[in-house]
Amino acid sequence: MWKQLHNVALRAKRNPLTVIGLFLVAVFLLLAALAPWIAPYPQDVWAVHPEERFSPPSTQHWFGTDELGRDIFSRVIFGTRISLRIGMIVVVLAFAIGVPLGLIAGTFGGLLDEILMRVTDMFLSFPPLLLAMAISATLGASLENAMVAIAIAWWPWYARLIRSEALSIRERDYVEAARAAGATWVRLLFRHVLPNSLAPVIVQASMDFGSVILTSASLSFLGLGAQPPTPEWGLMINIGRSYFLTHWWIVTFPGLAILITVLSFNITGDGLREILDPKAERW
Amino acid sequence: MKKGISVFLFRMGLASLFLVLTVFTLSIVVIAQELQVAVHLQGAEVVPYWDPSDGASGEIGLMNNLYEALLRYDAATNTFTPILATSYEQSEDAKTWTFKLREGVKFHTGNVMNAHAVKASIDRTIERGRGSSYIWSPVDSIEVIDDYTIRFHLRQPAPLDLVVAAGYCAYIFDPAYCDHDWFIAGNDSGTGPYTVESSEGSEKVITKKFDDYWGGWEGKHFDRVVFLSVSEASTRRLMLETGQADFCEQLPPTDIEALQDNLAVRVEVNPSFQNLMVLYNNQRTPLDNALVRRAMSYLIPYEDTVAVGLGGYGYVSRGVIPYGLWGYSDRVETFTYSPTVAKALLTQAGYPDGGFKFLLTYPAGYEDIRKTVELWRAACAELNITLDTRAMPTAERNAIARSPDPAKRQDIYLLYWWPDYANPDSFLSGMFYTQERPAYNLGYYSNPVFDALIDYAITLPTGSQEAIDMMVELQNILQRDAAGIAVWDMQYLRAMNTSLQGYVDNAAYPNVVFWYDCYRE
Repeated sequence: MWKQLHNVALRAKRNPLTVIGLFLVAVFLLLAALAPWIAPYPQDVWAVHPEERFSPPSTQHWFGTDELGRDIFSRVIFGTRISLRIGMIVVVLAFAIGVPLGLIAGTFGGLLDEILMRVTDMFLSFPPLLLAMAISATLGASLENAMVAIAIAWWPWYARLIRSEALSIRERDYVEAARAAGATWVRLLFRHVLPNSLAPVIVQASMDFGSVILTSASLSFLGLGAQPPTPEWGLMINIGRSYFLTHWWIVTFPGLAILITVLSFNITGDGLREILDPKAERW
Repeated sequence: MKKGISVFLFRMGLASLFLVLTVFTLSIVVIAQELQVAVHLQGAEVVPYWDPSDGASGEIGLMNNLYEALLRYDAATNTFTPILATSYEQSEDAKTWTFKLREGVKFHTGNVMNAHAVKASIDRTIERGRGSSYIWSPVDSIEVIDDYTIRFHLRQPAPLDLVVAAGYCAYIFDPAYCDHDWFIAGNDSGTGPYTVESSEGSEKVITKKFDDYWGGWEGKHFDRVVFLSVSEASTRRLMLETGQADFCEQLPPTDIEALQDNLAVRVEVNPSFQNLMVLYNNQRTPLDNALVRRAMSYLIPYEDTVAVGLGGYGYVSRGVIPYGLWGYSDRVETFTYSPTVAKALLTQAGYPDGGFKFLLTYPAGYEDIRKTVELWRAACAELNITLDTRAMPTAERNAIARSPDPAKRQDIYLLYWWPDYANPDSFLSGMFYTQERPAYNLGYYSNPVFDALIDYAITLPTGSQEAIDMMVELQNILQRDAAGIAVWDMQYLRAMNTSLQGYVDNAAYPNVVFWYDCYRE
């Protein structure tokens, strides 16, 4: 166990980008957890101060204030909570739908596989953002509906991925042996196929975290996600774009927050792949 | 020798290339000089309604260039300009109005405009009963006296000169070409100076001059006018700054202030008859209680909404009739921002701790309304009242508001209102007169005393002392009931290319540029 961890640490050390990514993700988690204590004006999530509107960045308001006088730094910090929640819920939902379906299709094959895969193909034939837009427009604009919409657009990727893993694993000797020994299908699925096909899915999930946050920000930007005054980054950019020619800081800081967050999750995901996959060699 | 030929050929080639380029450039210059094209930018759809009988929305800017009414009203000078009518007279009791029509006017279809066409147009609009067609409600019958004389018989005295000059539903069109489907395919059959050349959905309409226009085309005019919907305010501003557009209907105050130093752009702050209305659902608990409605009205930070929402370009409303329109009076009772009074009213109503959640819908895409809503929400939160605010597209919002099932309707509905015809009656009847099937009475207010007084008020001479007193009384009834309230009266912020001349803002025709009167200098 210790040796394995040591190995992982060694691999991570060889890839400084991953360390930076992990560090940023850790900061992101910390900000989300400690938002009420870190944000200088936690009440600005809801409260307005008309007399302080459009203040440029200063020592008092690091990121300036918005069109209603709210401290943008505080709102960006609180935005981490929302983005993290969206990322987690969507990835878990997509995981919960996609993994069982992919697993069943891959392990048992046949007609069931055909049907399940044609359904996933149907979903995959639309770009995820477009599909999520259509679904959330139908469900009505709210953050919860946006999350459901993104999850619906996302699960087929997991189903596909885990199916291909399961397909190769079910041909392995140890699976054949277990089957010959009379293992039940439940045992086959959960004891042999699932644990051995999980690694790439976990890597995918860590990378998707960033894409999901970006998609939800896009939905909010289009008015289909979070509603004001929620301090959601995409929504903050949507509102701030009316002022970007005159008050640049209103859109810039939430934009940077999205950029850094998505980037850090992507780097981490990339690093995780290298670490978890022993075959991957650094070039 | 060989080298000499190739040099010669090369020079010839160069010369001919130069010639072609020169001709090409010259032809562009000539075309540009001959064709004067104006570009009119709007934030919302250019034509929500193509049918001239149906409108009550953003198509006003386009339609008033395609179609004409009998008269045009100048809100600044309170005078009428003859358009399709050359003169008119009213009977002493203001119940019979006779109009002499202009001769030699042609529709874009080639047919001749006459009294039969006028009657058929207005009859069709009344019959369809859409949009602002209610403006014709005083009309009992229309009589054709001769080809160029028409007479309106009214049920009750009414300012018919204002009605025939309305910005909506008063257009005259060719009765031979008035099929609804034909209109919504992007066709027009008006008499106006411009006619539709092509359109792309309701986002872009290109119009060209109508050669047989009765006003003629001598002097400086635009040959083509392009109406373009550009939802992004920043893009509209950039298009103006780079000379890609000539006129922009409404820009955010921050952009207007930034543009004031730009010599290529002229900025105007003009009076308007437009206000922001809040309609409470008068039929749903607890808003069916006037005390709760009054409490909510005391929670709007009025001064802040003007400063933040409008950037200071407007006034806190005093009653539902906007600043500048007759009937506006400082005798009308007003609400001020006072959480203390609101708290006392809630206690009196039996809700000392608040605890309500109200669904509030407002039109999407308007920063001034969104900021106003945010300020109100923050104030309500202090008294434990939650405003569940939703910015929605008009069609979706109205489907909820006009739902046959009252349980599905919103609690609070916000909208801009401007007069369909320049009369305070538009503000009172339009939103507060009892309506069996709600059109714009979307607070579902019903008060028989108010209705009876409206019926009487409309018979009084326009702008007379008695009429003004009656408007004050009617507004005070609404204020005491807090049936619905106006928050602010706005000013129009216009930005246009400095070279654009001839534009006059007329509050009776909000957002309309009469492009025939404009030219480039």
